[in-house]
Amino acid sequence: MSIVLEQLTKRYDGHPVVNNVSLEVGDGEFFVLLGSSGSGKTTILSLIAGLVPADQGRILLHDREVTFLAPQQRKVGFVFQNYALFQSMTVADNVEFGLSIRKVPAAERRKRRDELLELVGLAGLGNRRPRQLSGGQQQRVALARALAYQPDVLLLDEPLGALDAKIRGELRRNLKNIQRQLGIATIFVTHDQEEAFDLADRIGVMSFGRLVEVGTPDELYQRPQTEFVASFLGTANLLVGDLTSEGVKVGKWYFPISHDCQQLSQDGRAQVLFRPEDVALAPEAAIMDSPKLGEAVVEEVSFGGAHERLRLRLPAISGVRSISPPVAFGSNSILVDATRSPEQAARFPLQQGDKTWVGVHRIHVLAHPGLSFLILSDGSLRSQAALNLGGQMARLAHARVTLIGWGAQGEALQSHLQEARRQLGSGLAALEVLTSEKEPAQAVRQAVERQQHDLVVLGFNHQEDMRLAEQLREAGDHHLLLVPRPQATPSKALICILSGEPGKDDVLFAGRLIRHLSADATLLSVLTPSSARQDSRARAERFLEGGVRSLSLLGVPAQTAIRSGTVPEEIQSEARDGSFDLLVLGAPLVRSGGGISLNGVAGQTLGLLPDIATMIVRSHYMAPG
Amino acid sequence: MKTKTPKQEIGYQSPLGRRGLRGVALVYLTVLLLIPLFVIIQDGLREGLTGLWHQVTLPIAWSALILTLWTAAIMTIINTMMGTLTAYALVRYDFPGKTIINSLVDLPLAIPTLVTGVMLVVLFGPQQALGALLKEQFGISIIFAPPGIIMALLFITFPFVVRTVQPVLLDLDRAQEAAATTLGAGSWTIFRRITLPPLILPMISGALLSFARAIGEFGAVVIVAGNIPLYSQTAAVYVLGEVESENRLGASAVSVVMIAIAFSLMMLVDWLQQRERKGSL
Repeated sequence: MSIVLEQLTKRYDGHPVVNNVSLEVGDGEFFVLLGSSGSGKTTILSLIAGLVPADQGRILLHDREVTFLAPQQRKVGFVFQNYALFQSMTVADNVEFGLSIRKVPAAERRKRRDELLELVGLAGLGNRRPRQLSGGQQQRVALARALAYQPDVLLLDEPLGALDAKIRGELRRNLKNIQRQLGIATIFVTHDQEEAFDLADRIGVMSFGRLVEVGTPDELYQRPQTEFVASFLGTANLLVGDLTSEGVKVGKWYFPISHDCQQLSQDGRAQVLFRPEDVALAPEAAIMDSPKLGEAVVEEVSFGGAHERLRLRLPAISGVRSISPPVAFGSNSILVDATRSPEQAARFPLQQGDKTWVGVHRIHVLAHPGLSFLILSDGSLRSQAALNLGGQMARLAHARVTLIGWGAQGEALQSHLQEARRQLGSGLAALEVLTSEKEPAQAVRQAVERQQHDLVVLGFNHQEDMRLAEQLREAGDHHLLLVPRPQATPSKALICILSGEPGKDDVLFAGRLIRHLSADATLLSVLTPSSARQDSRARAERFLEGGVRSLSLLGVPAQTAIRSGTVPEEIQSEARDGSFDLLVLGAPLVRSGGGISLNGVAGQTLGLLPDIATMIVRSHYMAPG
Repeated sequence: MKTKTPKQEIGYQSPLGRRGLRGVALVYLTVLLLIPLFVIIQDGLREGLTGLWHQVTLPIAWSALILTLWTAAIMTIINTMMGTLTAYALVRYDFPGKTIINSLVDLPLAIPTLVTGVMLVVLFGPQQALGALLKEQFGISIIFAPPGIIMALLFITFPFVVRTVQPVLLDLDRAQEAAATTLGAGSWTIFRRITLPPLILPMISGALLSFARAIGEFGAVVIVAGNIPLYSQTAAVYVLGEVESENRLGASAVSVVMIAIAFSLMMLVDWLQQRERKGSL
């Protein structure tokens, strides 16, 4: 292996920009790191080159550990994004720089320099200054300079990013040829998918500092493992269907799944992916030779060069939910993106508003990510309650559980965790027990850095733990379940929608969880006196209806209620009157520069209902003001 | 077909306004700068070049000019090195009080130079502890001697090199240094071959500016130097003496020499800065 990264982590201001990344790049391999800006790809290159020190993990280049070596000793060729040519030197001196540092004799240096300028197609330009060259030429000088002293590996940081499209294509071919000729292991960083697909032997997709998935371009495009990669690469049609022994059921069709996907899902649902080119269109059902999804209406037609692109709207299919392309909140129809060749388009012309039968040649089943819970326990009575309820819900939802023990010391903590482990033990997808001597918020932050959790469960007293709850919400992108006292598994959930919150995602998460609990849901909207006009009531009704439809797609029976008055008081009376045992509230996003505050409606409601388990769902809405 | 360029359209002003503005600027420059310059040059050359040469080569005048030049030269060498170092430290390192130190750099421009002289006398004067110590232990006198002049000039011209080097250093592409690191260069090589070359021109401009500023310095020097003819009297102080003893020709002649030096230095600085701008394009 030319490049091996083991659990590499780099933090800036405590925030991980490279998060537990492990990777192996083979000899002579062209590896592309693909991700949007800020996903940590450039930092990985800097870590390998030694320009920034790693916080954790190891780096091996050709089986030589270099984690703690100075950059000068790593034998890494680095091409920077803006090329970083030495402006005060000629092109020739730039290329020779690495050799002159190594005291290579002048004659040999000149020979090597001429070879490299020849290789990158710049022979004869050695006497120019960098700023006398075009962008593309500068890029090639940077490449020649990086290769001149024969480094062990080559790292390229968006080297073609600043160039225009035509030159880029040409340089891409050159680069690939040179890399093949030299057989040097290469990591190439880009945010450009086309570039990645064109160049890569294998691609690694990065998001928020994590290496999400690694595979050949074909594997990642046709058979991605995660929803993120499926929707990040190209255009994706993503649906959720039922997993059965015969395959995935989408509508009345069963799509066979490959054997390695058999144990994907414990909740009987699976995400299926099909690409626009996998979609078949026909004027009549009878002449369609692939499994049919139904008859759709053409919403949009456009021409993208070699292909015709269509967006189609299918009516609702029972038991099927659409993820991508996204549909409007409350709508249960399904959008499908399709492409056709000009010949197909000529044979069966379609215009906006036309009807067509839609089928799919081929689908791919993704590993449906199960839920993951994080439970905090310090051995107190209320954390006992959190442990009970969190464990019970995790069992029902087939969720993985991480338990963090904190607060107590030594033996007491160990025996408490022993008891907790025994209690939780059976029926969980996975149980991991951690102890932490840190503040609970910090421990949670650390845990979610390592692995994303959907729900953090905390034993809660509204007088003492409000600040802790705020800190836990701030610690990551998860929902929060506050458990004030021991209670049975919830059977009636009250989802409070405060002026448009929780948003769609949050209702969906609450719905996903509530379905596992087999509980009923009521969507409540409270109109404040200032907003209690006729049209706002109508709007609230429409919004609630949309929510009910979304929940019923998930299999959660739901009702609606509208009250008017002061929000916390109305929530309190509704919860008391309907004897609800789970409350779902939305909390605004972290404001830029500030923390989350639960002082508003959420905090007051927690105070008024001190004995009901409350789920604070993160909202994607910004807090007003 | 004739077409107007957009620039003319956008920048349009009435011809009267344009001419008026230019006129005001030129008249102002003439009254304030050119006439006095012309008058003094004319005055210095009243008895022709030989008369001027005679006045300048009088032993006291000559010694004052030479003293002025060599103290300024030594100051310039020290100031260029230390100014560059200061700029480097201010740009590249973080340390407590950095913002305050950064604004202190310009202070010498604001402090009356007489005060600067007084400060140095208080610090190094022969009656003061430090001054006495230096005198007794090492036989060095600072005040009323050339070292005092250099000290005063260093203080006064401190901002010039710092403020010409600092912006260039700030603009410098750090990636070039990172690139040199990956190519195997150590920190001294990187400084010498990557960081320093683009700083040379601003360093020279800063040096010339401080040199030009130094040769005309009066306030601080008059207090620090003691004005001992043939030993610690600088050209500017000499000119004052000649004016007071009503030898106007002597005063004008030495002044003309100082103007000539200052003017050629300014031309050089201008040329260097133009070259630097072109270089950075």
